[in-house]
Amino acid sequence: MEDYRIRVKIFIGLILVVLSVLGLRLVKLQIVDASAYSGESRSNAIREVRVLPARGVFYDRNDVLLVDNEPTYTVTLTPRYFNRSRVGLLAELLGVPDSVVTRKLEEAWQWSAFKASPSFREVPFDVLSRILEHRAELPGVEYLVAPKRRYLTEARAAHAFGYVREITPAELEKRRADGYRAGDLIGQAGLEKHYETELRGRPGIEYKQVNVHGLVVKPYRDGAEDVPPVNGYDLRLTIDSKLQALAESLFVHKRGAAVALDPRTGGILALVSEPDFDPRLFSKSIPRETWQYLTQSPEKPMFNRATMSGLPPGSTWKPFMALMALQEGVIDEHTIITCRGGYTLGRRVFHDHGGHAHGPINVRQAIQHSCNTFFFTVMMRTDVNTWSRWAKRFGFGRRIPMDLAEQSPGLIPDSSYYDRVYPRGWTAGYTINLGIGQGDMVVTPMQLARYTAAVANGGTLYPPHLVDRLEHPETGEVVRPELPAPEHLPVDPGFFEVVRDGMRLVMEAGTGQYVQIPGISSGGKTGTAQASGGRKDHSLFVLFAPVDDPQIAVAVVVENGGFGATQAAPIASLMVEQYLTGDVGPQRRWLIPYVMKMESEPLPE
Amino acid sequence: MRTWYRNLDYVALFLWMALVAVGLTAIYSTTHGPASEFLLESVQKNFERQMVWAGISLFGIVVALLLPVPFYQKAAYPIYALTMLLLVAALVAGREVNGAKSWLYLGPIGLQVSELAKVGTVLAVAQLLSSRRTQTHNVRYAVFAVALVALPAALIVLQNDMGTALVFFGLMPILLYWSGLPLHTLVLMTSPALAAYLAIVYWPAAVAFAVLFTLGMHWQMRERYVTALAGLFTGGTVAAVTLALTKVLQPYQVARILSFTNPEAKEFRDNVGFHLVQSKAAIGSGGLLGKGFMEGTQTQGAYVPEQSTDFIFSVIGEEWGFIGAMVVLTLFALFLIRLVVLGAQIKHPFGVMVASGAVGIYLIHIFINVGMATGLLPVIGIPLPFLSYGGSALLANTAMFAIALTLHMRRDDFSIYGY
Repeated sequence: MEDYRIRVKIFIGLILVVLSVLGLRLVKLQIVDASAYSGESRSNAIREVRVLPARGVFYDRNDVLLVDNEPTYTVTLTPRYFNRSRVGLLAELLGVPDSVVTRKLEEAWQWSAFKASPSFREVPFDVLSRILEHRAELPGVEYLVAPKRRYLTEARAAHAFGYVREITPAELEKRRADGYRAGDLIGQAGLEKHYETELRGRPGIEYKQVNVHGLVVKPYRDGAEDVPPVNGYDLRLTIDSKLQALAESLFVHKRGAAVALDPRTGGILALVSEPDFDPRLFSKSIPRETWQYLTQSPEKPMFNRATMSGLPPGSTWKPFMALMALQEGVIDEHTIITCRGGYTLGRRVFHDHGGHAHGPINVRQAIQHSCNTFFFTVMMRTDVNTWSRWAKRFGFGRRIPMDLAEQSPGLIPDSSYYDRVYPRGWTAGYTINLGIGQGDMVVTPMQLARYTAAVANGGTLYPPHLVDRLEHPETGEVVRPELPAPEHLPVDPGFFEVVRDGMRLVMEAGTGQYVQIPGISSGGKTGTAQASGGRKDHSLFVLFAPVDDPQIAVAVVVENGGFGATQAAPIASLMVEQYLTGDVGPQRRWLIPYVMKMESEPLPE
Repeated sequence: MRTWYRNLDYVALFLWMALVAVGLTAIYSTTHGPASEFLLESVQKNFERQMVWAGISLFGIVVALLLPVPFYQKAAYPIYALTMLLLVAALVAGREVNGAKSWLYLGPIGLQVSELAKVGTVLAVAQLLSSRRTQTHNVRYAVFAVALVALPAALIVLQNDMGTALVFFGLMPILLYWSGLPLHTLVLMTSPALAAYLAIVYWPAAVAFAVLFTLGMHWQMRERYVTALAGLFTGGTVAAVTLALTKVLQPYQVARILSFTNPEAKEFRDNVGFHLVQSKAAIGSGGLLGKGFMEGTQTQGAYVPEQSTDFIFSVIGEEWGFIGAMVVLTLFALFLIRLVVLGAQIKHPFGVMVASGAVGIYLIHIFINVGMATGLLPVIGIPLPFLSYGGSALLANTAMFAIALTLHMRRDDFSIYGY
C-alpha cells in the first residue's frame, strides 16, 4: 500500500507538471511576447480606413459659392483578401477588360497587401450598386466616397484657382510624411496649390474590424480609437465672379490677360489668362491628345499670362514716365515740349504714331494724346539707372509677394544690363525707347495692374492677393493671410493729381474716348507694343475708376491684338462698368458681342 | 435513514459544471458575436446544440448515479465490445469529416465513435486489471491490457484519425502505471516519445537527452540489459526520426511536421502554419487581461480555424487573457486531482482504474490540445475536454467522469471479494 500512495502522489505531481508547462507557455505568449502578438493580431484584423476631410471651398467677394465638392465613388482593392478567381466577375461588373483589373491588382500589391487601394475612380452609382450586390463573392473589394471638385459658376479663373489632381508617385514619395497616400488629391497650381495645406485639412482614421475573409464586420472598439477628420479652411476670395465671368467671355478668340485690382486693398477682383483650360479635366486621367494640347500647343493654355507673360508696356508706361520726371524735377507740370512728330537722335529719327505732330504740349496733354516725342525728351534727360531705380520702386522687374507662386519678374534694364548684353558699347539710341515702354524691357499684366492701382490711389503699392480670409467651416475660425506691408512711393501726391488728370483726359478727349464709361469718370491709358516676329502689335490698356474715389484698377493685354484702343480698351472699359454698376448698361450691350468677335492674330502652327 | 447520495462529491460535480460553463461561454462568443452573420451556417447553431448536449450530459450523470456498482463491472466488456463494433461500423459505413472516417450517423445525429471507444476501453481495462490474479501473472495481464488499448487504437488509425489514436497510445503507460508496473519500465516505455519530440524540435537536445537518459538508467539500475534498452530506445528513436525527416518522408510531410516549430515562416504561414500563426496571435494578443468577452478580434473575425472545437482555447486566451486561461488550467488541475483523490478513496482497483484512466485521457487531451493551441506541439486535432464544441466528446468524457463519480459515491457497495 505504501507503493500505491507514492503512485498517487507521483500521478498528482505529473498532472501539476504538465499543467505548469502549459502555464509557463502562456506566460511566454501572453506576458513576455504579448506586444508582438498584439501587433500581429492587429495587422490581421484591424483595418485602417482613412476618412478624407472635405476640401475647403471657394467663395467670391459677394459670398457666391464658386468651387465646392461633389461625391464620387471609388472602388478599392485589398489584395490580401481579394480572390483572384473573381477577376472576371469584377471586370464584367465594371465593364473593363480582365487585364485592367489584373493590372490594378498588381499596383495595389505594390503599395500594400492589407490596405485598400483606390483602384477605380468615378465609378457610376449604378455600377457600384451592382458590385455591392455581389459583395459576398468579392471579398477585398470595397468602395469609398471620394470628393471631386465642382465648379459652380461661369467664372472659371483656371489659372488663379488652379486645379487638383491625383498625387503622382514622385510627389507621393516626397509628401508621404505629410499624410498623403496613393490616390489622394493634391492642389497643382494657383490657389489650390498655394493653400494646399489649409484647404486639405487633416484626414481622419477609422479602425474597422475585418474577418478572415477580409469583410468588415464592425467598427473596432466601437470607434473608440478613431481619429475624426478635420475639414479644410474655406477660402473667401476677393474675386468678383460676375466680373471674372464677363472678362473671360470677352477674351474668346484671343490670347492675353486681364487683371483687375481693388486699389484700396490690392484685392484681385478678376484675373484672366486666355486661352485657359478646364480644371475638371484633371479629375480623371487625361486623354493623350488633350494633354498634348495643354502642354505643347504654342498657345500655352496652362501658362498663367497674367503673372508670367512679359510684354513691353508700350504707352501704358507714359504715366510712370510722367511721375518719375515730375518727382526727379526733369519737368514740372507746366513744362512745354514741342512735338514735331518725332525725336531726332544723331542720324536716327524716333517717330510719333503715324508721324503725328502734337506741337507744344505739357505733360497732361502728352499723356492725353500719347505723345512719344515728349517722353523721348524726358528719357533723354534722365539717366538710365535713375529710370531703372524708379521702375523697380513701382514694382516692375521683380516678383510680387503674393499668393500666386507662378510669376515672372519681368525685365527692367540698367546700365550694367546694357554693358553685359552689348559688350561692344551702347548709346542713348539703345535706351531712348524705354521712355515709351519699348526696347529691352518687359512687364507682366499683374505688375501693370498694380502700378495702375498705385497711380489711382495716390502712391501705395498694395500686395495683390486673391484670398481675403480663410474661414473654418465648423469652428468659424478666421485666418487672414499674411501679406507683406504696402509700399509707399516717394512721389509728391500733387504729381499723382497731374497724371490722373492726364489719364482722365485720355478717356474724355484722347485715345480712350470711344470706350468712355457712361456716367462714370475714369482714367486710362492705351498701349501698343511691338510684337516680335513681325506680327501684329500687342494691344494694351490700363484703366481706373472712378477718378475721385478709385475702386477698381485694370490692366488688359491682348497679344497680337493691334492698337491698344481697339481690343484691350473695350475689354477694360466693360470690366470696370460691370464691377462698378453690377452690369453692363443697355447702351453698351452691343459692344460685348462686338468685342467677342475680335481675334488675336493666330500663331503659326 | 441516510440518503443514497450522501457520499456524492459535490466539489467534483461543481468543477465539471464550471468547465462546461466556460466552454459554453467561449462557444457563444464564437457564434453570437457581431460577425456571426458571416459564419458558415453549419457553425452558427453550435452554441445551441452544445447547450442540448450539456443537458443530455447532465441527465446522463443523474442516470449513472442511479446505477449500481456491479452493473458497471459486468457491463465493462459488453460496452467495450459494442464500441469496437461501432468503430468497425464507422470504418465501413461512416462519414468522412476532415479526412477521418470516424463519424457514424443515426438519422440526423452524428456520433464520433472513437470518442465513445474511450469509455469502453477504460472500463474494459479497469475490469481486466482489477480481476483477481497472482503476482506471477502480472506481465501476462499487462500484455492483455495493452492489447485491449491497441485494438481501438489500430481501428482509429485505420479511420485516419491520428490524433485520437495518439490518445490511446498515451493511455497505455498510464493504465500500466496504475496496474503496478515497475516505474523504471514505464520510464523506459515513455522515453522514446520525449526523444522523438526533442529530435523534431532541436536535435542536439535529443542527442543529449539520449546520452543522459542511458547513463541515468545505468547508474540507477546497474542492469546491463536495462542500459542497453535505454540506449536503444532513445538513441534509436533519435536516429529513426532524423532519418525519417531527412531521407524517408516527402518534403511536404516534413514541412507539416516541422512547421509547428516555426509556423510564422513565410513558406508556412499561409498554409500548414496558418492554424498555429492565428492561434498564437489570438492567445498572445490577449495579454494579461484579455480583450473582453465578444471583443476578440481574432475570434470575431474567425481567423483561427476550428475555433469552437479544437481551438477553443485560443478564444479563451484572447478574450479572457492570461488570467482567464490560467483560471481554466487551474480548474482542470483541481478537477483532475480531485478525481485522482476520489479514485484513491474508492480503494477498489476497478474504481481506481476507471478514475485514473479518465484522468489520463483528460490529461493527454489537455496537454496536446493546449500545447497545440499555444504552438508547443504540432496541430493534432483533438478536442479540449468539456470545453470544445462536440456532443460525442462531451458525452464520452462526461460518461467516464460520471462512472468514476458513481463508483466513488457507492464505494461501500464494492464486493469485499473484489480485491
